[in-house]
Amino acid sequence: MDNLILALGWAGLYGPMALGAIGSMIGCSLAGQAAAGALLETETGHGRYIGISAMPSSQSIYGIVVMFALNRELTLANAPGLGAIGLLCGLALMFSAIYQGRSCASAINVSKIRPEIFGMSLAPAAIVEGFAVFAFIFALVISADLPV
Amino acid sequence: MSRYYTLIAALPDLPALTARQELPLSRIALDKRLTLLSEEDREQLDRVESLYHPPLTRVDNQPDQQRVLDWQRQLKEIKSPALRQLVEQRLEWQTLLAALRSRDQSGSQPEHFYGSGRWTGFIRRHWQEPLFGLDATLPFLGELAKLHKKGASGDLEAALNTYLWKELLFVERSFHFTLETLVCYVLRFGLAEKHLQSNGEEALAAFHRMTEQLLASPTLSQPLDLAFEEALR
Repeated sequence: MDNLILALGWAGLYGPMALGAIGSMIGCSLAGQAAAGALLETETGHGRYIGISAMPSSQSIYGIVVMFALNRELTLANAPGLGAIGLLCGLALMFSAIYQGRSCASAINVSKIRPEIFGMSLAPAAIVEGFAVFAFIFALVISADLPV
Repeated sequence: MSRYYTLIAALPDLPALTARQELPLSRIALDKRLTLLSEEDREQLDRVESLYHPPLTRVDNQPDQQRVLDWQRQLKEIKSPALRQLVEQRLEWQTLLAALRSRDQSGSQPEHFYGSGRWTGFIRRHWQEPLFGLDATLPFLGELAKLHKKGASGDLEAALNTYLWKELLFVERSFHFTLETLVCYVLRFGLAEKHLQSNGEEALAAFHRMTEQLLASPTLSQPLDLAFEEALR
């Protein structure tokens, strides 16, 4: 049982990084596919499409920071807390990256048709990013109370 | 469910049907992009398209009853409920227009009328009523019936196409980079193609614009200039 609790602690430690990276992979891939299609159809503004398609990569960075913040010597006292915070934060980062990728794909598709709404079309992706930041910040705040 | 992010983002916008002067891409270019579809989805697209826009070149001598049975058989093969509903609605409108035309022919009997969809039985039962008793259910039928009575076939087709265009656009925007989005786009493309073909003046203007663009393109004019220069030497 002790080993299981410690394994949960390790999963929580690496979870934000791994799950955030999985989300970023999927999100960047979705937005990147839309950007590739838009490149075929437009004459200018290619750089911004590629830029948007990289937006979901920020969740991986948040995951790395949370992983370092949680990194400490694993004990039976702190492993359940690390597991809970790490895995839940990782899941939040993963889903936010996937859905941000979908929002970015839509933004690329509409701004290809009407370039003047480019900024406005990014609002949904920015809102999704906001929720990822909440998950990231509060994981850092709450991890401060875990026993070292 | 397959998602077509690259393909859908690679399709140009189709502006409103009435504002159209020319198509933003040719059917050949569209077909080239559609090669990104999986084999199964391509088959679904072809099936939906052949029902929604039956090819004008095909001579169809099938009796009505047989044709309706064929439609029903093909409708069952459409996997997406949203697309099946779109095609059903299209065939229902076709049935209603056929009923209006059929009633005008002398000696036509309701029991010999065949059609697809919810309203066929209703049409037979209310054959003598101006709008088959569907005035409240389908107010748009009243507008079509007025145009039919005036004999304005072109305006009738344009009105129906505008209505179908809005329906397709609504469904297209309800899906996120799926086969439904793509099929609705292709069907709208078909409506735009028909609209352009139905307007002789616009078609002629589009032809002139295309020839001017072609003659102005350097790939065509440069070799000609070179040929003239060589001939003058």
